[in-house]
Amino acid sequence: MDSVFCHANWGQSIGGVSFPLLADFHPKGAMAESYGLYLKDKGITDRATVIIDAGGVVRHASSVGPGGERDISELAALCEKIDKEYSGDVSKPASGMGLADATLYVKDNCGFSRAALLARSNLHMDNVEVVNVSEKPAALETLKQKTGKEQAPALQIGDQVLLESADIISRMVEAKVGSLT
Amino acid sequence: MIEVGSQAPDFELPDHLGRKVRLSTFRGKQHVMLLFYPLDFTPT
Repeated sequence: MDSVFCHANWGQSIGGVSFPLLADFHPKGAMAESYGLYLKDKGITDRATVIIDAGGVVRHASSVGPGGERDISELAALCEKIDKEYSGDVSKPASGMGLADATLYVKDNCGFSRAALLARSNLHMDNVEVVNVSEKPAALETLKQKTGKEQAPALQIGDQVLLESADIISRMVEAKVGSLT
Repeated sequence: MIEVGSQAPDFELPDHLGRKVRLSTFRGKQHVMLLFYPLDFTPT
């Protein structure tokens, strides 16, 4: 329901997100309206969850009301159930295609490192190697020789090194989306 | 609220990184979960 700009801000403030935050801003609430979830009298969207299978069929729709809270574990269980029951084709989650020789450098007690690790885990990019420089100071030295900076998180792909967590997460999302389409 | 068993209406919306996301591009590839919420900075 917010604009793209507000979403970008919020995404940053919660440490970056590894899924798209969509803006149903203009025309306001049109997409929510098409799902019957736009509360016209209040001018806001309901807090609701819709699960669509890979065949484009709605498999679940529920609302907890604007002030309510979702039961995340219940939704996770629902996802597994729907995935199990679905008989059509689903792409196997490609594990980090396009990032074959990538290494993610992280350090302890660092929100940006945590965000990058969370994105790697959410995107099932198990083949992106993780090096914790807090445990391996020598790795930090290697990184410094490559980039001139002792900075983590960093994502190394061949000769290229990304140093901003937002860039790192975007790059992983891009690789993931690229491997699916 | 949309009925279970019905076809999900297609849409294309901009995401927080400026990319356009269209529901139908996931067809035959992935299940999709849509989390609607009133405003940013509110609980899940």
